[in-house]
Amino acid sequence: MLLAGLVSRPLPPRLLQPVLDAVFKRVMRKHPDLFDRLSGLGNPVYLIDPTDLPFSFLLNADPARPRMLVTVDGRDGVGNMCASATVRGPLRSLIDLLEGRMDGDALFFSRSLNIEGDTEAVVALRNAVDDANVQLTDDVLASLGPFSGPARRALKLGEQLYHRLDQDLEIVRASVHAHPGGQAVKGPKV
Amino acid sequence: MSTLELVCPAGTPAALKAAVASGADAVYLGFRDATNARNFPGLNFSRAELEQGIFHAHAQGCKIFLAINTFPTAGDPEPWHKAVDDGAALGVDAVILADIGLLDYAARNHPDLRRHLSVQASASNPESIRFYQEAFDVKRVVLPRVLSVAEIAALNDEINVETEVFVFGGLCVMAEGRCALSSYVTGESPNTNGVCSPACAVRYEEDDGGTMASKLGDFTINAFAPGEAAGYPTLCKGRFVAKGEASYLFEDPVSLNAASILPELAAAGVTGLKIEGRQRGKAYIAEVVSSFRQAVDSMDDGGAIKADLINVTEGQRKTAGAYQKTWR
Repeated sequence: MLLAGLVSRPLPPRLLQPVLDAVFKRVMRKHPDLFDRLSGLGNPVYLIDPTDLPFSFLLNADPARPRMLVTVDGRDGVGNMCASATVRGPLRSLIDLLEGRMDGDALFFSRSLNIEGDTEAVVALRNAVDDANVQLTDDVLASLGPFSGPARRALKLGEQLYHRLDQDLEIVRASVHAHPGGQAVKGPKV
Repeated sequence: MSTLELVCPAGTPAALKAAVASGADAVYLGFRDATNARNFPGLNFSRAELEQGIFHAHAQGCKIFLAINTFPTAGDPEPWHKAVDDGAALGVDAVILADIGLLDYAARNHPDLRRHLSVQASASNPESIRFYQEAFDVKRVVLPRVLSVAEIAALNDEINVETEVFVFGGLCVMAEGRCALSSYVTGESPNTNGVCSPACAVRYEEDDGGTMASKLGDFTINAFAPGEAAGYPTLCKGRFVAKGEASYLFEDPVSLNAASILPELAAAGVTGLKIEGRQRGKAYIAEVVSSFRQAVDSMDDGGAIKADLINVTEGQRKTAGAYQKTWR
């Protein structure tokens, strides 16, 4: 998914929105009760902000009329959706959280995830998506129709290359930050 | 099969399935209301979800324990009574209770429903535990997280009730069920509302330099430097200035991990090993439960015990807590 993020980096929001609409519609069709666990919270609006992308997403978690918009300034352009909570982190962490591969508290403890605004709404959303078993990667690929097969193979290759690159960078990073005696120390992420 | 029972948390049906698949002997959970001490937004089970969860767990040989471990509101015990009734009707294997009145209700109306004493009852001495056994026929006591292994062994020598101890997750060193810190700041407590430091009272604010302040109600209770591992926003884990120095006066943000002393706990006579974290995601459940499953099985086989799990700990640190306390 990081590759997908990198690929989509140059796309302007108006071109991304139709793709997002298709994916979001598919997710909601597969998980119609996704936002049931948010009942009583007054249909909160979230700003989902991947720190490694030049845009973010506005999510209106209204069970009756859920919507998700691409935004560059945290606004929807017409003033109808105003975020009451922000969830900010690397795209890969956000997708791992959405797909249930990572624990939200663990990401928060490690400071990989930043939360602002209505904490109650964020906790409820975290619990809702954790129970829903959303598989975003599959839904994104399925939205590509006849291109889903080639895209899946390209994504698999891309992820293998990414993991290899990530491992190589880790080796370089450990070497750069190594003590003269060979003991590695913690340093900032490359 | 091990004589030690691995009792694992679940806050959602997905987490329950993760716990069962990862080797839980029993799963504990609660209804989606104030009758349990993890009444968090979006968490817990409806009656229908519990029914499905019991079916799924029992098919895999796993038990379900229903936590009804808050203290009923004076004058309105009905939600708590209904929780006990519904748990019994749906076929839970035990209810985990703390309140004397609710224990009495369960014992009178559902004498065959197994009763466990919640950690929220804070029963930590033989006299207290014997009272709950004699008055309400409790079969198991969940011990507070303030006892050393030696104290647990001595306690087990004097009582004739199963004991269950926490082995991983969040620590609470207060007199559980009696702590009023959350109430003092937010008006809500784990004892009556089922939530310590409710999310509605929590705010996080990060400044331009990357320092994150955690606020509870009207108070700033901690500030984490850029990159510094964070913890839960509870008042007991706040960082306070005393004698000119900011430090953790009550307890550090750190998780319990008693994996390394499982043999000692077994020798001390405990029956249940409890993993904390009904509020955690299914990824945490799967990782922690499978690690402890392996640890317990390895211990039984005489093998090495390994369950590091530092990546899911609060504050990215672990401790054996009071089990190996050295400060007395």
